[in-house]
Amino acid sequence: MSEGKALSTWLDNLLTELEGIEIRRKSSRRLRIDVEASALPALLELLRGRASYVHLSAISCVDWPDEAQFELVYHVWSYELQSLVSAHTRIPRKPGVYISVYDIYTPAAFFERDIHEMFGVFFEGSPDMSKFILTEWDGPPPMRKDFDSEAWVNAHFDFQDYNPDWLQEIIAQGGGIAIRPDEQRFSRGPEPTAKGAGNKTVDKGTDER
Amino acid sequence: MRPENYEAQRHPPSNEYELNIGPNHPGIEGNYAFKLRLHGDRVIEGRADAGYLHRGFEKLMEGRLWIQNLAITPRICVPDPVPMEISYCLAVEDLCGLEVPERALWLRVLQAELSRLAAHLFTFGGHAATTGMYTPMFWGIADRDLILDLFEELCGGRVYHIYNIPGGVRRDMPPGFIERVSNTLDYLETRLPDYDNLMFKNLVFVQRARGVGVISQEQALDWAVTGPNLRATGLALDVRRDDPYLIYDQLAFDIPTEDGGDAWSRALVRRKELFESIKIIRQVLAKLPSLPGPIRCPIPNPLAWNVPAGSTYVRMESSKGELAWYVVSNGSEKPYRTHVRGPSQMHAVQVLEKLSIGCRIEDVAQIMFSLDACPPEVDR
Amino acid sequence: MSDIDYKDHGGVLAPLKNLRFFGRNAVTVPLDPRTASANYRGFHLNDWQACVGCSTCQKVCDNAAITMVEIPGLPEDPVKGVRNLRPAIDYGRCCWCALCVDLCPTGSISLSREYVHTCVDADLDSYFVLPDSNGIHGVAYDKGWAKSVESDLVALERTDMTEAAPEARIDNFEEIVAGYDKNQAIIEASRCVQCGMCHDACPTRMNAPEYIRAIWQDDMEEAVRQIYRTNPFAHTCGRVCTHRCETACSVGHRGEPIAIRWLKRYAMDAVAPERVKQIAAEGKPGYVTGKRIAIIGAGPAGLTAAFDLAKQGHEVQVYEAMSQAGGMTRYGIPYYRMPADMLDRDVEVIQSLGVKIQYNTRIGVDLRMDELQQQFDAVLIAVGLWTGRSTRIQGADNDGVERAVELLRKVADGEPIRVPRQAVIIGGGNVAMDIARTLARLQKHRYGEVAITLTALEDIDHFLADRDEIKEAREEGVEILDARGPQQVVIENGGASGLCTWKVLSIFDEKGRFAPKYNADDQLIHPGDMIVEAIGQAADIALLGEALTEELEWNRGRLKVDDGLRTSADWLWAAGDMVRGPDVVTAVADGHKAAASINQFLCIREQAA
Repeated sequence: MSEGKALSTWLDNLLTELEGIEIRRKSSRRLRIDVEASALPALLELLRGRASYVHLSAISCVDWPDEAQFELVYHVWSYELQSLVSAHTRIPRKPGVYISVYDIYTPAAFFERDIHEMFGVFFEGSPDMSKFILTEWDGPPPMRKDFDSEAWVNAHFDFQDYNPDWLQEIIAQGGGIAIRPDEQRFSRGPEPTAKGAGNKTVDKGTDER
Repeated sequence: MRPENYEAQRHPPSNEYELNIGPNHPGIEGNYAFKLRLHGDRVIEGRADAGYLHRGFEKLMEGRLWIQNLAITPRICVPDPVPMEISYCLAVEDLCGLEVPERALWLRVLQAELSRLAAHLFTFGGHAATTGMYTPMFWGIADRDLILDLFEELCGGRVYHIYNIPGGVRRDMPPGFIERVSNTLDYLETRLPDYDNLMFKNLVFVQRARGVGVISQEQALDWAVTGPNLRATGLALDVRRDDPYLIYDQLAFDIPTEDGGDAWSRALVRRKELFESIKIIRQVLAKLPSLPGPIRCPIPNPLAWNVPAGSTYVRMESSKGELAWYVVSNGSEKPYRTHVRGPSQMHAVQVLEKLSIGCRIEDVAQIMFSLDACPPEVDR
Repeated sequence: MSDIDYKDHGGVLAPLKNLRFFGRNAVTVPLDPRTASANYRGFHLNDWQACVGCSTCQKVCDNAAITMVEIPGLPEDPVKGVRNLRPAIDYGRCCWCALCVDLCPTGSISLSREYVHTCVDADLDSYFVLPDSNGIHGVAYDKGWAKSVESDLVALERTDMTEAAPEARIDNFEEIVAGYDKNQAIIEASRCVQCGMCHDACPTRMNAPEYIRAIWQDDMEEAVRQIYRTNPFAHTCGRVCTHRCETACSVGHRGEPIAIRWLKRYAMDAVAPERVKQIAAEGKPGYVTGKRIAIIGAGPAGLTAAFDLAKQGHEVQVYEAMSQAGGMTRYGIPYYRMPADMLDRDVEVIQSLGVKIQYNTRIGVDLRMDELQQQFDAVLIAVGLWTGRSTRIQGADNDGVERAVELLRKVADGEPIRVPRQAVIIGGGNVAMDIARTLARLQKHRYGEVAITLTALEDIDHFLADRDEIKEAREEGVEILDARGPQQVVIENGGASGLCTWKVLSIFDEKGRFAPKYNADDQLIHPGDMIVEAIGQAADIALLGEALTEELEWNRGRLKVDDGLRTSADWLWAAGDMVRGPDVVTAVADGHKAAASINQFLCIREQAA
């Protein structure tokens, strides 16, 4: 596998020479590269064309609303080097537009279409930006953090109301439903009770002492 | 698509017509729609239409605690749920730095290979059915049932195992389990010649499957084809060998390949993989008695468990191809982003569309089944 | 495996090979329901005897499938941590993941091997079930996936805390426990399942789940804020409370309860005193009500009431007979359990709210009750139980016989006491342990060796002292002899030389009255030049004066009070040990109750006027 070794050394040298990219090697087969959005297509072309990373495994999108950015991650695998490179880049959330890498990797079409549908990111040059999974959905891109899917479901659907005999008997004896499931869901987070209205005003810095 | 939302399109008079296959169709694997434009019996264009199995898992996972997502993961790919569970657990273990005890790793390989067996048996039936042979379907599902019995014993569930947990597995094998697995494998091995006679050597099947849906090696690499589909083009590439996870680097198994790149080659590769999986399982069964010890490393109270911030990309070889998960944590008790890359996302969409161009209408279903395209993975 | 050769047609007789299929058994699956495997995850079963209604299953269910139903008639005991709630499952939402089973603290809920249920649309209510031990259709199926050691997700083991070894601690009074460090505290706090049993069991209804969660999130100021909602004596309670919370903790049913007390100690120590004062003062109004309240006794009850009243805008004046505040927590609990400087922090926070404490002031001597009645709008008496009871056995009036409460007070006050060469302690409660271990330290320091014998009426399993105290006392060299009743003090040359005890056969009679029976043949003389009685405490109520004592109503030696702790005199309230018996956290709860009642009374008077 001396060809592979030569490639690997060449790649490492090249990557260290390029400016503006940050490299973190997680393990022998995982490498993370952070690169500017404008430089990413060139990096991918280099990886595919010269460093044998021919396989595009996936393109992931992560929504960072606090930083007003989308993070796009391109995971490419090289069968020769048996190593994965994840190229991370950030684009501003508004306007949420990026360039397609379909001309470099054909599988990108699927991921870009999916990301467009779910996050609203438009990829210029991608062959098909029409809806794929959510063809009848006209709401906001649902994978964005500001879309609360559970709230939407609760607003649009009714959950089954049950009134079985055993419950009626218990209610007749003086018992009944004590805690509904939605009141105690850890995934929704127990609300810290002290941060009620009263304390919030004092929290903003009183100087009584 | 709901009938009320469907608008019939008017085309100028031509020899072409549109045919919508699915989502509820025996020629479609799962719930999936495929819109064909045909000229007579020949397909001119095919467009995949997904979304009938969209449950929004990636969003759901962001709203649930790390431990609660275990119940969701097997449902992402129904015929082969184990790699989904394992890859989620591998991702969490990677983020947390958990060390999985050895016994658990071997148990995971046992599950994964049994699941591969079950999935392949299922696919044989499907593929044969698209060529008009229904007996392999009955046989495949009946034999798969024996494997589901094994899963029921080990995991407590036949299809949705919910057996893996970050740190290991939830239960140890019941007593006598190794023997029962071994007996089931023995039985399956006696069945293999029957399957060969019925299906793989059957001229009916061979003539239907040969030359259909041909993928060349360049196309396979270009279209990100993985799994048995890739190996059917002659390339011996397998995530278990190239990017080893669990304890696959300690196991002896071959990577079967075929040269044709057509539907028959793909069926043959799966047929040979059955044999390899049985080999692997026997090695695991031989090793397990000498591996005492815990089946799980300690994890914090699931209600108060913050996974350290970071991101990880986990790759596995499911029965259908390369399965990968990209998991991002922001240090809280819920995942920040989980992205599932199912192999069928390539196979069921672009590859299927490209391969169906120019084929006959009766082969469309066969191409889909030969690619082992699994719509739940596409839709999530 | 050789390659499949499809070209091999096999000859014209090949199809005949398939005749062998006639010899094969058909695959036959019986139509009866199949017994599921031993691990199967079927419908729920719940053992109502073991279930305590903690609702942890509801919290971990990812599909919100569990509803807690209140069932009248089931046992409800906040002290033991038992609620009359039971889970009901909505099978339209349940996915049978068995996380509820794995996380159940008591192990009561499990999944059975039953898996068949059908119904028509009209009977959809049958999807909502209240599982008990009988199965949802009333047919008993075996358990499938149940609690097991491998799959148990409850964190059963408590994080260890560093404590000084007996050799290191025996000759000094330094605090024995080192407390948790940050990592240990976060791990210990993460064990909590937030069931709230601790909240129900605590006399002050403290918000323990909230402060434990805040500690886990490393938000120490929030933890202090939650603690101060119910307890301004948290440095103290975090060290010496009788922790009913831990007794009720649902994790404690099968494992070790969460170290709620040590976590409180950790949280209070973690925030700077100045910041604690600011947090404690949050919510204090900017106005004053103009009402003045006198509190007699700067102990937990008195100062808690002072804290509450000051935070409501009243003017509070506390009168304390000793030279420092704290009451029994300073003068009754030894330093190695309750370092006085941490107690000082609690007191300083209360003082920072404007509460004034006047020390060395004895009511009845320096000020009279009727003066207080005139000068203040309300008076709260919380003087505690400072007089030690005597066994009144023969020789108990000798100089060599001391009361434990007296001795402890002197030691805490810095007054020198005679350190005996050998001491015998009578009593089996916490006070007896305190004096035994205090004298042990003084002996070790003075003479280089410990010689303490402790005797009590109860047998060792029924000692009133904490198990930890007994264990640590033994480690420090205290000899503990149980079930022995003191008969007389042996006098020699005018001083005590030993204690004569008989074996106790029983303590209470059939009616439950105190009537100990002894075996006079089993007699021991325990040598000792000091005998210490630690058998109970009484209040010194001479301060009330004769007239007031006559006027007030009494209940078996203690002041009679209503639900708001008001005595029969409408201007006088009483709280704490003197009303309830010795216990710090009950005194704190009393302080709250009295303050609320006083506040209500004062407001009503204001409106009336």
